[in-house]
Amino acid sequence: MRISLNAIKSYVRVPESISDQELINLIGSRLVEVEEVIDLAPRYRGCYVAKVVNCEPIPDTHLHLCQIDAGVHNEDFNQLENGLVQVVCGAPNVHAGMLAVWITPGSIVPETYGNENFKLSVRKLRGYESNGMLAGADELGFDTEHKAIAEIDPKTAQPGDALADVFALNDLILDVENKSLTHRPDCFGLIGFAREVAGILGIKFEEPEVFRELSAKTLPNSAKLTVEIADSELCPRYSCAVFDLPGHEPSKYLTSTAVFLAKAGMRSIDPMVDLTNVLMLETGQPLHAFDYDKLVQVGGSETPKIVVRAAEDGETLQLLDGKTIACTPDDILITSNNVPVALAGAMGGKNTEIDASTTRVVLESATFSLYRLRKTQMAHGIFSEAITRFTKGQPAAITLPVLEEALHRLGISPESVIDEYPSKIPETVVKITTEQVNNLLGTAYDTDTIIKTLENVGFNVEGAATASSERIRSYDEEERRDPATAVVANAPRGGSCGSTTMLKVTSPAWRTDIHIAEDVIEEVGRLLGYDNIPLSLPTKPFLEPEVDAMVKLKQELREILSGRLRMNELLTYSFVHRDLIAKVGQDPEDCYQIVNSISPDLQCFRSEIAPSLLDKVRENLKAGHKDFTLYEMNQISRKSYGLTDEGTPVTKTHLGIVATSDFYTLKAQILAMFAELNIPVEYAVLSSETAGHHPYLEPKRSAELFLDGQNIGAFGEVKASVLRQFKLDPVISAAEINLDKIAIAPRELQAQVQLSKFPSVERDLTLKVAGDAPFGRIDTVLHDSLSQQNLYFDITPVSIYQPTDSATKNLSFHLKFSSPSQTLSAAEISAIMDKIAKDVSAVGATVI
Amino acid sequence: MSDVEKLRAELKALNSEYAKIKTLPPEERGEFGRTMNQKKQKLLAAIEQAEAEAENSTVEALDISAPTAPNQPIPTVKRGTKHPLMTELDRVIQVYSAMGFDVMESRQLDDEFHMFDSLNFPIGHPARDGYDTFRTAEGFIPPAHTSTMQHRALKKYKSKLEHGGQIAVVIPGRVFRNEDVDTTHEHTFYQCEGVFVSKDATMGQMFGVLKHFFEAYYGQKLKIKTQPGYFPFTEPSAELLIEKPASLGGKGGDWLEMLGCGMIHPNVLKIAGIDPETYHGFAWGGGIDRLAMLKYGLNDVRYFESGKLDFLEEF
Repeated sequence: MRISLNAIKSYVRVPESISDQELINLIGSRLVEVEEVIDLAPRYRGCYVAKVVNCEPIPDTHLHLCQIDAGVHNEDFNQLENGLVQVVCGAPNVHAGMLAVWITPGSIVPETYGNENFKLSVRKLRGYESNGMLAGADELGFDTEHKAIAEIDPKTAQPGDALADVFALNDLILDVENKSLTHRPDCFGLIGFAREVAGILGIKFEEPEVFRELSAKTLPNSAKLTVEIADSELCPRYSCAVFDLPGHEPSKYLTSTAVFLAKAGMRSIDPMVDLTNVLMLETGQPLHAFDYDKLVQVGGSETPKIVVRAAEDGETLQLLDGKTIACTPDDILITSNNVPVALAGAMGGKNTEIDASTTRVVLESATFSLYRLRKTQMAHGIFSEAITRFTKGQPAAITLPVLEEALHRLGISPESVIDEYPSKIPETVVKITTEQVNNLLGTAYDTDTIIKTLENVGFNVEGAATASSERIRSYDEEERRDPATAVVANAPRGGSCGSTTMLKVTSPAWRTDIHIAEDVIEEVGRLLGYDNIPLSLPTKPFLEPEVDAMVKLKQELREILSGRLRMNELLTYSFVHRDLIAKVGQDPEDCYQIVNSISPDLQCFRSEIAPSLLDKVRENLKAGHKDFTLYEMNQISRKSYGLTDEGTPVTKTHLGIVATSDFYTLKAQILAMFAELNIPVEYAVLSSETAGHHPYLEPKRSAELFLDGQNIGAFGEVKASVLRQFKLDPVISAAEINLDKIAIAPRELQAQVQLSKFPSVERDLTLKVAGDAPFGRIDTVLHDSLSQQNLYFDITPVSIYQPTDSATKNLSFHLKFSSPSQTLSAAEISAIMDKIAKDVSAVGATVI
Repeated sequence: MSDVEKLRAELKALNSEYAKIKTLPPEERGEFGRTMNQKKQKLLAAIEQAEAEAENSTVEALDISAPTAPNQPIPTVKRGTKHPLMTELDRVIQVYSAMGFDVMESRQLDDEFHMFDSLNFPIGHPARDGYDTFRTAEGFIPPAHTSTMQHRALKKYKSKLEHGGQIAVVIPGRVFRNEDVDTTHEHTFYQCEGVFVSKDATMGQMFGVLKHFFEAYYGQKLKIKTQPGYFPFTEPSAELLIEKPASLGGKGGDWLEMLGCGMIHPNVLKIAGIDPETYHGFAWGGGIDRLAMLKYGLNDVRYFESGKLDFLEEF
């Protein structure tokens, strides 16, 4: 939303001691984020009112050769002998005697300012020297269409006047963020915005006439129209007036209204529409005008009646922009005897459009359910200034006062004013105490400060005020302190003056956001400035904070995997394309399906991490990386996991790993990871069930992992057929491990350090076994054999050697052992080695 | 003859002089022996030094600017990499945890109740649109903010209040917004939520805690300021800005929007079964991606989820 600072200043007398920048900073810190400040002054710097003294057509062209008088500014530019300046102009409406807007050579055309910055010069057109240009309203940034050059009303200006002075263009436009005002419909009007500015400055806001008296007046009603609201939930209040359209011709001059609208980003259309838009910008209340006679005709009844009701599904209406919409039951329709004439809050119907033939109008000022209009906005894609305001929930209290203001400005006494307000919304009264305010904010404001702050913005406060006669300081008297006040451990708590004073706060009728004490406390804290709240710290008992087991595990794993095991941590999207799931042979139907993504790639909530990593291998290989291990830890889910007790999907945290290496390398990394964690795991050949869960793993070259006898994942080489889908060559390995059980698994806290004080013995051992004998079986026997002999030992596999075509293979180990109680003698060592030879022979191994 | 050889010859000559001792009168022998020993020690030291010099002169000098010696393979150091977002996330958790905050994890699939209803968003309220939430066909929501965990945190730690303690918890997590991706927008990012409830929590304490966090995180004193915000689940609500720290190249006067915060709305406490008459709380939530981008001077948020090792190896 764009807010003119000049407009704000027209409602609030800002003390001269406060600079514009200071005011903007205050608005930013106490009302709404100011996203951009646009300074209009420089863009109109070269624009002057000039009189066209002579104007002659240039033969065989549409151009005119003009001599203009720009007052004293003539002297600065190429004057003719008669002291005037020559400009060539192509506009059809240029004529001698008119006042036009002259943009001087060397100046930038305002419309292009900040974009292409089109700079005018002295140049020849058809052989005639032309100095600068006579500008159209579009070139000045007040219109979108190029119709003619702007003409200035001689009653308002004379040659030589700066355009900026005539139209108050030495102005700063604040572009503010709407989102943080979602709950403040009153601030979507300049008056409401200005009221807040007054409150921030500690000044009592002088309500303009329109909001001074909100209670209903006795209304003239000559039965030109009746209004029926089918459901007051849809439309709490509907006010309208019927009157003869005053014969206002559109002005031929550039009007201050057009400039006012342009500052808010709107355009002048015709006097009636302009009036409704100006009032909307000032008060926040949108208005809509219907052609009364068309309305009566459409309704087909002698007794015209507006009925406000919910639309029926599929009911159609042609809107003002020519589009015909099919309504949903969420839409609200304005109807004439049940025939739709407008989509409430959004756009009028073509069938009751004001046009040149219109003589009588119905002017509507109403408020509708913001929830319904939000759906209308989404369903029909209408994002007008009006619906933006309606979806904030315009207060019912102001419909009639704004309508009356419109009639007043039109200078007419209507025949008929109807105000349908079925259930009057009661005023909100909230009780607060000074103590409550200070306890929530951590401040020590006194009762008078609180009362004054609220009263400044229209709250009515009653209570046993301490009636201190001391005047409340306004902002410009405040001590300017550094917001970074040092943290104090015990900030003042509870106001010392009247800390238990009970205040009865009645919110002004235009405030729809005040319901509870906290809403009022926010107003006090905000208007007086959150930055003035003294900082403090809570006291906390000395207790070890409880860190979620999964958070801790992930931190630990990052150190192990990225540090000691030198893997690369990735983050990839939680939402994946169905194709990715299908490529790895899993069922996309078991995934939660994203239904409203604006990107076609985000379809399924993923059920595993490894496929996402697999998808990243090729581009990293292409980027020249050769040997890497990618990993990611994140949440996954499957529909088949079911729901939690609270009814949300069961999610699990998985570790996915993908490596450009074979099974054995990945296995070594995974076992090292568990060894670092001090968590004992076991692994075995993939069961068919586990293979089914990880269909991309080659079951003959994969294993599954067990913790405490329960499956916690699988790892192995990826099937060649799957790799082809990712345009990858073998060998790539992958792992998918559920971290949930690991996070809570008991750790071996006692270190198993076995160091004998007696010398250890080292021996190499080579065993000849059958070619298909599992390594693990021999390894286990070796371990058992040394354990049984009560020794401290290390067994390191050295090699597995199997010549081609051989039916046997040689397994070589390096053994290191010692006795916990003595130095081993040669005889004892021989006995140990003999025992090993005997034990391994039982599983078909021969010592060689 | 080299220096070493000359010295050795001298030593040999000296040794042969020892024989003279027998020819000397007994009272001179002591003095003679001491002098001889001194000479000998001196020679031995000189020999040692000369030998070391001789050895040093044979050592071949390296080209220290080269990656390897001629004809040798170039050594590589294989590095593991930790994702920069996770590094920052862990650091944030570390600071809050040291300040005494418990740590919970956020969910990545949630429902309308936790995302909106429990946070005092009226049903069908346009404020719900501001979050651009993804939705699943099954009626669930990949959450758009970590505030989706507030209700759970309040319920989980409510018993602490009943035992005279406080709720102090931070909740990091991955969140999602349904918007087009560009240099400054990602549909997937990380946030950290904070929740504090006690009998005497104030807005002044909230600003004090947050200022302390950012000072600890950036390791320097900082200035903070606020601007009003609107969140249905806090009342009053604010946005917190910090003055750009010198460690990030701040020169004073640049302000960074860091997070949204406010006093927990009484309805949010009530829904979680906490009496808002007795207890007050404050809550906040801020983006981790932004912290990482500021810290590493990144100008494109899309790198984080790109899976590119070229990017990750920079950290």
